[in-house]
Amino acid sequence: CTKDLSEINTNTNSPIDAQPSLLFRKVLFDYGEQMSFEAFDAGNLLGQYFTMIDFNNFDRHALSEPLYAGNPWPFIYKNLRDNEIVLQKSINNPTFAVYKGPALVMKAYMTAALTDLYGDVPYNEALKGKSQIFTPKYDKQEDIYQGADGILKNLENAITAMTAYTGTNKLDGDIVYNGNLQNWIKFANSLRIKYLMRISGKVNVAAQLQAIYTAGNYIGANANNAVFQFSATAPNNFRITTTRIGDFSLYIMSKTAEEILKNYNDPRLSLFYRPTAGNASLYTGLINGPDATTNPVTVSNYSLTGTIFRENGANLKYNYMTAWETNFFLAEAAQKGLITAVPKTLYDLAVTQGFEYWNVTMPATYLTTGPALFNPLSSDALKLIITQKWIPNNLNGYEAWIEYRRTGFPLLKPVQASRNNGLYPVRMPYPQEESTLNQANYKAAATATNNNSINTKVWWNN
Amino acid sequence: TVIDQVTGKKIIGVSIKEKNQPNNGTASNADGVFGLNVSSANAVLIFSYIGYNTREVALNGKTNLQVSLNPGLLLNETVVTALGVERESKSLGYNVQQIQAKEISEVKSVNFLDNITAKVAGVTITQGASGVGSTSKIVIRGESSFANNNPLFVVDGTPVNNIDIVPRYVEAPSSFQAIDFGNGAMDINPDDIASVSVLKGAAAAALYGSRAANGVILINTKDGSNSKGFGVSFNSTTSIESPFKLPEFQNTYGQGNGGQFAFKDGLGGGVNDVLTYSYGPKLDQGTLIAQYDSPVTLPDGRVVRGGDVGVYSNIPITPTPFISHPDNLKDFYETGKTFINNLSFSGKYDKGNYRLSYTDLNSQSFIPGVDYLRKNLSANLSFQPTSKLSAKSTIIYQNAKSNNRPSSGYGSENLQYGLLAWLPRSLDIEPLKNYWQTGLEGLRNYSYNYTYFDNPYFILKENRNELNRDRIFGNIALKYDLAPHLFVQLRSGMDYSNEGRRLLRNYSTNRFKNGAYAEQNVFYREINTDALINYTRKINNFGFDLSLGGNQLTQDFKSNQTQTSALAQPALFTLANAATPLEIFTFASRKRINSTYGSAKFSFKNYLFVDVTGRNDWSSALATPLSTKNTSFFYPSVSGSFVLSEITKLPKGISFLKLRASYAQIGNDTDPYQTAGAFVPATPYNSAPTLTDQNIIANPNLKPEQTKSAEFGTDIRFFGDRLGIDATYYNSLTENQILSLPVSISTGYAQRVTNGGAVRSKGVELILTGTPILSKNFRWNSTVNFSTNTSTVESLPDGAKQLTLAYARVYDSPAQTVYYIATEGGKIGDLWGTGYLKNSDGKFIVDASGNLITDNTLKKLGNYNPDFMMGFSNSFKYKQFDFGFLFDWRKGGILVSRTLALAGVAGQLKETEYRPTDGLAFDGVVNTGTSTNPVYITNTKKISAESYYRQFYDRNNEENNTYDDSYLKLRQFNLGYTFDKAALSKTFLKDVQSIKVSFVGKNVFAISKIPHFDPEQLALQGNKFLNGTEDMSYPSARSFGLSLGINF
Repeated sequence: CTKDLSEINTNTNSPIDAQPSLLFRKVLFDYGEQMSFEAFDAGNLLGQYFTMIDFNNFDRHALSEPLYAGNPWPFIYKNLRDNEIVLQKSINNPTFAVYKGPALVMKAYMTAALTDLYGDVPYNEALKGKSQIFTPKYDKQEDIYQGADGILKNLENAITAMTAYTGTNKLDGDIVYNGNLQNWIKFANSLRIKYLMRISGKVNVAAQLQAIYTAGNYIGANANNAVFQFSATAPNNFRITTTRIGDFSLYIMSKTAEEILKNYNDPRLSLFYRPTAGNASLYTGLINGPDATTNPVTVSNYSLTGTIFRENGANLKYNYMTAWETNFFLAEAAQKGLITAVPKTLYDLAVTQGFEYWNVTMPATYLTTGPALFNPLSSDALKLIITQKWIPNNLNGYEAWIEYRRTGFPLLKPVQASRNNGLYPVRMPYPQEESTLNQANYKAAATATNNNSINTKVWWNN
Repeated sequence: TVIDQVTGKKIIGVSIKEKNQPNNGTASNADGVFGLNVSSANAVLIFSYIGYNTREVALNGKTNLQVSLNPGLLLNETVVTALGVERESKSLGYNVQQIQAKEISEVKSVNFLDNITAKVAGVTITQGASGVGSTSKIVIRGESSFANNNPLFVVDGTPVNNIDIVPRYVEAPSSFQAIDFGNGAMDINPDDIASVSVLKGAAAAALYGSRAANGVILINTKDGSNSKGFGVSFNSTTSIESPFKLPEFQNTYGQGNGGQFAFKDGLGGGVNDVLTYSYGPKLDQGTLIAQYDSPVTLPDGRVVRGGDVGVYSNIPITPTPFISHPDNLKDFYETGKTFINNLSFSGKYDKGNYRLSYTDLNSQSFIPGVDYLRKNLSANLSFQPTSKLSAKSTIIYQNAKSNNRPSSGYGSENLQYGLLAWLPRSLDIEPLKNYWQTGLEGLRNYSYNYTYFDNPYFILKENRNELNRDRIFGNIALKYDLAPHLFVQLRSGMDYSNEGRRLLRNYSTNRFKNGAYAEQNVFYREINTDALINYTRKINNFGFDLSLGGNQLTQDFKSNQTQTSALAQPALFTLANAATPLEIFTFASRKRINSTYGSAKFSFKNYLFVDVTGRNDWSSALATPLSTKNTSFFYPSVSGSFVLSEITKLPKGISFLKLRASYAQIGNDTDPYQTAGAFVPATPYNSAPTLTDQNIIANPNLKPEQTKSAEFGTDIRFFGDRLGIDATYYNSLTENQILSLPVSISTGYAQRVTNGGAVRSKGVELILTGTPILSKNFRWNSTVNFSTNTSTVESLPDGAKQLTLAYARVYDSPAQTVYYIATEGGKIGDLWGTGYLKNSDGKFIVDASGNLITDNTLKKLGNYNPDFMMGFSNSFKYKQFDFGFLFDWRKGGILVSRTLALAGVAGQLKETEYRPTDGLAFDGVVNTGTSTNPVYITNTKKISAESYYRQFYDRNNEENNTYDDSYLKLRQFNLGYTFDKAALSKTFLKDVQSIKVSFVGKNVFAISKIPHFDPEQLALQGNKFLNGTEDMSYPSARSFGLSLGINF
């Protein structure tokens, strides 16, 4: 009576194992696609590039009530999972050894995105559902950054593995560098710079930064950027290009953005935003977080977001790491004396590369006269570096908000009708599911964050 | 001769069969006379006729009989039980409730399940929410499984599917929305049904296998055994439908916000024209305002409409009067029409009988263009070539079609989104009928707003969801008598369906700028083959009946969906016209269950009956690629019936008393492929494929689930069977359930498949049957069905504190979600959601600015299951007139309404009409103390009416959008007149046996606390059909019709 039953219950639709190339390609595209949508819909609100005029609880800082994006926890973990499968295959099967370095880089990258947003998160016990660990403990952010299997160590290990790799198997599925491991090493070093700077308020990172800077093997030119291009049509398009027009037209320019860009007379204003409906030369922003029920906004008086996010979405790239971002971090490090370098050189390079990245011609006098002129002796030098970095950081995940939390720049505005007692949030709340599905561990983590408060700073921000 | 015991009148058309010779039968003629050649002089004849108690009469050598039938109650009839065996109901140790053909076909519904509603105690049927052709959900004795509560449907002994396969969709506000293409059992044709038996408990069903754990709906189709020679019958029903209930709107304020509005481009270019709230200026004040249908004069002199934004810019719109349109939604709907025509031929000859039937159903919904068309051809053939061999076959072919199944759920694909939730009260709907923008015909639809909305007429005509389903089901059975008491039976049945669906979206659809197109094919085939050997004997007072059988079930399922999210050429719906790479989703599965089973029935005299059954299944779904050790499971049952009234003298008045009890275990398997993991395709990049691990952790150690069920009942009749009470108590425990338990995504996975949990269901069913009046010319029959059920979660697997069984959400927002959560000690049907912060007295806590405070803690909103349900049906017969009605009372249970949340926030509903200029204050308190030491005083701070209503009904909180879902409904009525042979013989219709005309009504009215829609609601979310949430549902139908039945 049991004849053929095993055969009948064998799933012929889907394989029971997967080639690492197929998983790796999925991780690189899916993470980027999801995070770019997060960036437009949520990150750009917290970073005050955009403001939202209705259905805007998130923009009013009720971070547990996002409209669409604003809950990146699930997709980060799902991609960490697939990436971990690639990593384990690269360790256990010599044929796949080429994946070890890149998978470690992606592990570090996605983990940092997670912990920078939430603080302490499940890490060492995470992703082990198939080993029957169903309620993973939360690890301290400090350990996630600095532990033996932490972000920084994994980036070092990645570089070691890639440097040592002598095999002939190509890194297949790599939509970022088309299998060029030398570029992956540069990517890893740029990430080391970024994450060392992230924790530089808590840890002395000078020596490490200096060593990386001296070696110079990081993403120094836009040609080596870790990016992939969106396409014009589904399914590899930037998601906003095909969403309903309403989900696009409820987003308008933030007053913060208007002031910053106008202050520099920055031509990227007309890239990121459109003129108001009535006047083709007028760009107007609105202070974030209006209460739509008492203060209806007449859209035609404000600037919608630019054609690059809608009609010309095929010009967008997803940005894992870039030369300008690296150089802005180095400029900051130099300015703070963490590395020995001329901050202005790095700053000027970063600003120039930022224009280049967005395909906008930098006005000839941009860096030589006017407010973008760098003066290392000015008390506002750091503010200038971070504010200038803020401009190209548009659509870079939650990066602008994270850097605002770390540095206090640029000067973001209190939202109009705050649902967070007027405080600027400094972390994302753990999703509600954690409180029911991972109860005991969640409780400990919630206690450590004053009942999962969005006003409790993460470790590196303390 | 057959006569009526009360009136003495001759009865025409009584079915007379020889016992144990099912193909030897006849019927009484117009004079009540019959003749039948019987196999022996001591044969037993069975007399049955609708409306009379079935009677068995032993010939004992007599050749001339006068038989009187008791028109009392229907309780002593034979009922069809497992394996198609007809048994006297008094011998059953469990409850089986039977419905006759007349009750099913008197007032026909398009979905077969709706014909059973309120007629059977303990059976809950909820009609779907997207018009004709929707799924109706059936649950028997409450939900006790975390995964599957679908009963098994059996037609003439062969299972037929009741699956509902929803096309792939995404909950995010992009791509296709969910579409309900109906449930499998909806296509059973009422005109072909002879009887429906509902086996409610596990005991009745042990012999059908696992799927019977949730009860069995056993359908017997009509055959030719009752015809006298050749007979023709024609039945026709024509009915008209209108919306059962439309929302109560406010008609004082028009579109806009803060009292201001002017249309410019429907995208925010004008004054508050970015969305379509109705918080605008007062209506009917003589105000002139630019609107979407106001004229615009182009420089060349042509006049276009304000909404023709594609052909002009920066030209002022000429304002027009801002007036109310109270009937703008009502005017959208048309009068629906349903025509059901059935023609059947039946006949009998010495070696068998036959019945052929053709039914054409054409239902045009009141939603313009939405329809359901079904053709149904069925053949029942019976052939007895020798006295030992008989063959029987039922074959049913049908084709179901729909030109449009409207999309469900919250979003612009659902008509109700733009027509109800966001339909400005100032909107004149008439201009929308011309749904293309002037000069951009075929390219851009013309609408009152362009942010999220499509013109509803455009959706109906251009964005249809088509269906075309071919289905064949039926079986062939051979029976051979090996010896006088021994027979073997071989039977094979199949249910095959192949369904093609097309999802059409034209250019300028909000979700698909350049249109979209999807094709889905759903293939399903189930083959059941069984062999049975039976030995029946009666020795002195002892009777026994032993059966031994085997069954093999093989199920194949395939679904292919291919889609593109842009078309190259507008309005050309082919895959070759795709402007983007095709996305392909395929799934195929196969499942097999091999079984052996046995049953033994014992009887002593005519008062003690005991049944014992046992079955062993081997299910492929529990096999792993390497092992079959968990595939086998055995389940037994025992039941008994004791007819007390046969052995003792009972008090006067009690004419019959029976006690019954049963105990059964039933095992269950699961869906295929739960025992091994898999990688599934994800979005390709530049056409290069990708894979991702599935989000569910498979479990190679799955064991079968187990249900244990006990049932006690009694059947008491009084006053010569004029009054009967049938009472049942049941208590069942479903343990070790196979379920997908949600786990924290930080484990890398969203769910894991596991065994565990226990749900106990307890309930009472009462069926009260009476014939209050019975005289020569007038007869009144009345039945009350009462049932109550509670399903309590006794434990959850692995100490999980709670388990989310389902959810209903707006888009894919976790904050806008009704959670269907099982907690230890909680009840199945508990709904959880969020509300605003309240103090311990249940008062809203209002902040200093007069606003409510969000409370993100999930709280229990209530339970959607009713405290009890009651059906009250009555039929009256006066001479040639008959009249009947059916009331349906549901008490208790809650319903969360999306219509209230969305149309409330948007300011369309009556509830939002009161808008004093100085604002409104929430009925709540303000904390003037500290957070640890609160001091509450009554809130007096007023906020604008717009702020007030938009907060109160906000979709992020479910608590304020919850209704008590009790109702009392007049489910149906019928009034008919029959012209019998006697009346017709004097006319040109003298060859006609009878003609009946009736006036019928369905879903006539309801008393409920819900002002805006039918309290009966079913939502489609996450591929599940859910009670307890109203999700922007379409109105249900009220229908009135005329029907005509002619028998030749």
